[in-house]
Amino acid sequence: MKFEGPAASFVDEIIICENVHKWFDEFEALRGVDLRVKPGEVIVILGPSGSGKSTFIRCINRLEEHQEGRIIVDGIELSHDIRNIQEIRREVGMVFQQFNLFPHLTVLENITLAPINVRKWTRDHAEEVAMQWLTRVGIPEQANKYPGQLSGGQQQRVAMARTLTMQPKVLMFDEPTSALDPEMIKEVLDVMRDLAHSGYTILAVTHEMGFAREVANRVIFMDAGKIVEENTPDEFFNNPKEERTKLFLSQILHH
Amino acid sequence: MMTEITKTTTRLQDNIRDYNWQYFLKDNITGSWYQTAWIAILALVAALFAVTQFNEAPTATIAILAAWGVGTIMVVVGTLFQHHTKVSRWLKNNLISSVSNALLSLLMMLVLGMAARGIALWAFINANFNPAETAPEFQSQSYATWGVIWGARKLLMTGRMTPEDSPRVWLALWFILGMWALTYITGRPALRDKLQRVRQGIMGLWILSPVILYVFLAGIANSPVYNIGAALTGVVIAVAIYALFWTQKIIRFSWMNLISAAAAWPAAYTIWWAIGRSGILPPINVDTWGGLMLSLIVASSVVILSMPIGMMLALGRRSEVYGVPAWITWPVAIGVSIWGFTTTPQLLADSRSPIEQLFAFWPIAVLVLAYGFQRAFKGNVVAGASTAFIELIRSVPLITLLFMGIIMAPFFFSAGTSIAKPWPVIVGYTLFSAAYTAEVIRGGLQAIPVGQYEASDSLGLNGFQKMRFIILPQAIRIVIPAIVGQFIGAFKSSSLVSVVGLMDLLGIIRAIVANPQWLGLRKELYVFLFVVYFTGSFVMSSYSRRLEVQLGVGER
Repeated sequence: MKFEGPAASFVDEIIICENVHKWFDEFEALRGVDLRVKPGEVIVILGPSGSGKSTFIRCINRLEEHQEGRIIVDGIELSHDIRNIQEIRREVGMVFQQFNLFPHLTVLENITLAPINVRKWTRDHAEEVAMQWLTRVGIPEQANKYPGQLSGGQQQRVAMARTLTMQPKVLMFDEPTSALDPEMIKEVLDVMRDLAHSGYTILAVTHEMGFAREVANRVIFMDAGKIVEENTPDEFFNNPKEERTKLFLSQILHH
Repeated sequence: MMTEITKTTTRLQDNIRDYNWQYFLKDNITGSWYQTAWIAILALVAALFAVTQFNEAPTATIAILAAWGVGTIMVVVGTLFQHHTKVSRWLKNNLISSVSNALLSLLMMLVLGMAARGIALWAFINANFNPAETAPEFQSQSYATWGVIWGARKLLMTGRMTPEDSPRVWLALWFILGMWALTYITGRPALRDKLQRVRQGIMGLWILSPVILYVFLAGIANSPVYNIGAALTGVVIAVAIYALFWTQKIIRFSWMNLISAAAAWPAAYTIWWAIGRSGILPPINVDTWGGLMLSLIVASSVVILSMPIGMMLALGRRSEVYGVPAWITWPVAIGVSIWGFTTTPQLLADSRSPIEQLFAFWPIAVLVLAYGFQRAFKGNVVAGASTAFIELIRSVPLITLLFMGIIMAPFFFSAGTSIAKPWPVIVGYTLFSAAYTAEVIRGGLQAIPVGQYEASDSLGLNGFQKMRFIILPQAIRIVIPAIVGQFIGAFKSSSLVSVVGLMDLLGIIRAIVANPQWLGLRKELYVFLFVVYFTGSFVMSSYSRRLEVQLGVGER
């Protein structure tokens, strides 16, 4: 099967976040986050719950609005201009914890809707690419079913195919395995590994330490709305610098 | 044979001996003094009722008593044998589970049986169906004189339309029936896929059908002058709307589409004008519309129009656009000022002082005002306006709106223009229904999980696409039962238009009842009214149930 990798990018740093602050009313969820991501990097964001890691990646495609600082994606700065926001959303794919498939559309319709209407592809082209992706995530035979007829793991793989058919430059995973039964986690992680190895820029919020250890270029540890430690996976897991990181690792690894 | 009967008898005797009669009595009759009293009263009422009905209709009463007796015996025997047949078990579970229920069942059987007998005698068995025999000397309290329905059929169906206009009504009726037949035939599974294009054509014809029906039923006036200005204005508006949609990225640019959009209005205007000129379909006085036809026109206009309007209001109420979007302000302001400048020469000619000359340039003020409005106003205008409209309409009774429509419509038109009564009534009623529909749809919109919005956003769908493809299809599916309830309500309440003087089915029936020709005939006409409204409502609710089943496919 002929397969195209991620779309080429012509910038040095595909995501630039500078001093990002975000408040939910009185509560400060992000307290100055800085991050620079090069094309092709795989970054795993770890942290205890409530540390702002999901909020942070949701700011990057403006599902949440940040109040201070700058976010620049593929050379476009996020502003109130709806066109900028939509341009960025086209280039940034997102996979959600709860899949968020459209229950009234078939799997194939779920996947081709955005390419046809946003990328303005023809239906035939969109369906061809969609089928390629469905084959790659291993469920081409489910194309004409409705999401409600699939298992959780299959649904999440459809959600990934839906995101990938848009040919985004950046992939963001928001705890993609947290809502899955244990035996289905592997099938989703396999796809994520595959993508990481084929050159996608990936930002993943996940609790899968194995995935982080194995494929991440960098691991970022967040706590209380700040990046506490930024390290290679080896150093991070074997030789963490910060006390907070050590505490977190001891809590998740020892039981 | 003999031995078997003996065996059965012995078993029955055993069972009767073993049966705990004291328990039965305590449970059913002597449990407390009010239970005894209740059974006694029930038995007395049933007996009295049976005796009264026996004098009225001996055969029917005996038949009912016998049926009840046989049923009771079956239950008793079944219980004593400790072996129930299918029938006796059903009777025991549903009608004769205790002494009290047995008596209540008897009473209900007598009441319902007698009512059914009375209705059957009045409406069918003794009824007079002869249209020629409707005069008072043929009438009686004890049977229906159905002849009036046939005799007054023209009034009931179309009200006071003149006989010359009736071919037009037939034309409209056959058009609708033909459309239904075509839709049904081309929708058969065998033809469905082969006739894709034809089906699209039929769909287009359905969308045009209100206009076509209007032309059939109201006609087109013959205007001697072909108004080129009117034709070209349509082109300008179509191109403007096309440009708006294109710049908002709702549609893709294509010369084909642009040209057909621009040509649509002049083409439609020319056809319209040509039909008027030819005199094939001369105007009909809309004020003569009446009967079932008017009821259906009012109800279907309201149902069809309140859906899109309600949808817009619902979306508007949930809109999160702050300030006035430029693409609304500028087209409106520029449109108003272009029209305004055409008044300037006249105003200049009429002015008597420099100040008044300045006023002649009022369109400039419109533009300045629009600019200021757009800069200064940061509130959520769309949501505010939608909410205000909905709450305003909902706080007024329908009947008030209808009266307002009738009484106030003339104020909106220049003196001398007469507006036919049905139009303001339809407009007022539609606005009323749309406000309620909007709230129902809003309920559906709020039931959609936030994840659906986020997934649409993250895929880069714009607001219009998100609503069109993701949110509305799911929301509408959720609200179908409520919307159909709303529509059935609208259909039935359409009889309220008779209060403001429209001759709809109820209105015309009241006129027929008051007519000396049909003196003394009321029941027949009101029963007919009931049958018509019941049939309409029943068809609508059955269709909605089918629709729910059809759309339920693949629901999570």
